Amino acid sequence: MMSTDELIALVADKVVDARGTACPGPLLEAKKAIGTIASGEIMEVLSADEGTKKDIPKWANKKGHEYLGTIEESGYFKIYLKKG
Amino acid sequence: MENKKMTMALFSGSIDKLTGAGVVLSGAAADDMDVDIYVLLMGARAFVKDNEDKIDGLSEYPHLKDEFFKSLETLKVPTWIEFFEMAKDLTNVKIHICSLAGKMWGGEKMEDFIDLADDICGIGEYIESAQEADVHLFI
Repeated sequence: MMSTDELIALVADKVVDARGTACPGPLLEAKKAIGTIASGEIMEVLSADEGTKKDIPKWANKKGHEYLGTIEESGYFKIYLKKG
Repeated sequence: MENKKMTMALFSGSIDKLTGAGVVLSGAAADDMDVDIYVLLMGARAFVKDNEDKIDGLSEYPHLKDEFFKSLETLKVPTWIEFFEMAKDLTNVKIHICSLAGKMWGGEKMEDFIDLADDICGIGEYIESAQEADVHLFI
């Protein structure tokens, strides 16, 4: 896990804006998008769905990716992952 | 590591339960599960060609149909068919139509069913699949 400052400083290789969808939309978007980046690259998922906040970190760890942390914004949050 | 297996008996053919099945299926797809769906009695109606517009009833709270559809639209929830298609794109999902169920709604051969359907099967296959599954659901 990274600190908020470290997360803010990250430049994502892929940004997935899933704020327009409810669960399971963001998880599906994340699942599709992670296939398009290389191992070690960073993906940022934007979501406004409260269920997703717990789902994506758990899913990522289970699938061998690294969950780096979440930044709360106003009305949505950014979840950072590093592809395993 | 071998993928976990989910077997789903899809007995229901109402739009609320089909949508719920689609959400569960999406979760299984995100988790790379192998999924076998056995479409039983009422469910088969939804898989017979040209029935798309006839699938509009709710099993639960039928009087709140308008509210249900309005919420789906507001939340941009995909249709049950879109959920099933997405899951098929993401993971190994096979949809088996129970032969009796198909016949009840006028579907005897594969060409009578929508493209989502993979084959027609007997109940023995479902039971065998359920015995082997890590997760077994009846919806």
